[in-house]
Amino acid sequence: MRAVIRRVPLIAVALVAGWFAGCAARPPAGDQEALQEYRQTNDPWEPTNRFFYRINRGFDAVILKPAAEGYRFIVPAPMRNGIHNVLANLTSPVLFSNDVLQGKPRRAGDTFMRFLINSTAGIGGIFDVAKNVGYPAHDTDFGVTLALWGVPSGPFLFLPVLGPTDPRDVAGFGVGIIMDPFTWVGQGATVTALGWTRYGMSAIDARERHLDEVDQITKTALDPYATFRSLYRQHRQGEIEKTREDNRATVPAWFPQPAPEAAPPARPGPEPGK
Amino acid sequence: MLTRRTQLMRAGLAVGIAFCLAGFHAARAQGSDAIAFVRQTGAELVNVVNGGAPEAAKRRQLQQIVDRTVDVESIARFALGRFWRIATPQQQQEYVHLFHEVLLNSITNKIGEYRGVQFTVGRSVPQEGAVAVQTTIVRPNSPPTEVQWLISNVGGLPKIEDVVAEGTSLRLTQRSDYVSYLQHNGDNVQALINALRQQLAQANG
Repeated sequence: MRAVIRRVPLIAVALVAGWFAGCAARPPAGDQEALQEYRQTNDPWEPTNRFFYRINRGFDAVILKPAAEGYRFIVPAPMRNGIHNVLANLTSPVLFSNDVLQGKPRRAGDTFMRFLINSTAGIGGIFDVAKNVGYPAHDTDFGVTLALWGVPSGPFLFLPVLGPTDPRDVAGFGVGIIMDPFTWVGQGATVTALGWTRYGMSAIDARERHLDEVDQITKTALDPYATFRSLYRQHRQGEIEKTREDNRATVPAWFPQPAPEAAPPARPGPEPGK
Repeated sequence: MLTRRTQLMRAGLAVGIAFCLAGFHAARAQGSDAIAFVRQTGAELVNVVNGGAPEAAKRRQLQQIVDRTVDVESIARFALGRFWRIATPQQQQEYVHLFHEVLLNSITNKIGEYRGVQFTVGRSVPQEGAVAVQTTIVRPNSPPTEVQWLISNVGGLPKIEDVVAEGTSLRLTQRSDYVSYLQHNGDNVQALINALRQQLAQANG
């Protein structure tokens, strides 16, 4: 935490410098289509965002990408999977809180059972055993919770380190850290070091998993910034809709099961594994 | 008088119901046709990707499937947004040609990544004059991906209008890219055409 505080003046300087880049020019009121485009893009601070986008690209090229490539080169895939599973398992408490706040009992149950099974039978979360016994993984965060509560996303933001986001997801990110029991557990240098190791490993793990996609986009897109902006928005909207539509019933196994809603027409007969 | 009116009303009602039923049947038939089409096309793609043919032959086979099943011109037109109408007919033609090449490149570049791919077809949902078919794509060492295929009827044949992977639409993402590029290059369609040509030259050179 102290490291962050020491860096605050630096971040402030960067913010002010970025601000001088100014705001995106609003098209004239007469040009209806251009105006509609401007509203749809919803990126009034585009020049500032592009400034931070370039800074992040530089940071990525020098630090994060080489780290992720080195990680992929040195650590074999099964071990990387294990590390990913451990990191994912550590997010379970935050995941569970959000499942509950979103009013998704089945998801909360999945998360609870996954944490229980994977922490024990999965040896500290290394193996995702729960997936194979009927508790599938899902991902969510407080940004999605806010969206389900009806909070609008606000304009697009591209921030140092955080990358593409919006005010709702910035709030979600902050609350996510506060919600996390591991933020508050324990004291001393070892705990602090472990905490930062976890953040660092999460960043490298996430970057490694997207090495090929990001390469592909920066190589093929004419305007990678606009492409990332669009992809981020669409992906978040997709996650929100997926969560909203997940209304699986919570019925104990011994209780008469409800009829499945509108069975897929392509696959007649009972679903396998039920 | 009264009976005549009742008869008329009955006839009207019957016709109405008949139309409703016909519409319902048409929608259902369209849905199952689209599912069959996605299943067929998907099986062909998987066969090529997982097959033992050399890389160059695979590219050719994929190209044939894409040309037969994807409505490239419609996707290209969508991706240009409002600039389609600004472009001259020559520019439109050249742009569609380049877009076709770009699309083929981006698909065939992923052959290696998709080795061992499998897919299952789920349900279909009508969507704005087209049908969205749900599929789940499974690759070794990757979490399953939900992919939606937007199928519409073009001249009596089903065609792919869009591919939506985990909520991200191919044509919408492409449009964001091109429109933003045009906005930063003086709304000049020729600049986009030149950029696409340069990109292809780099990719093939």
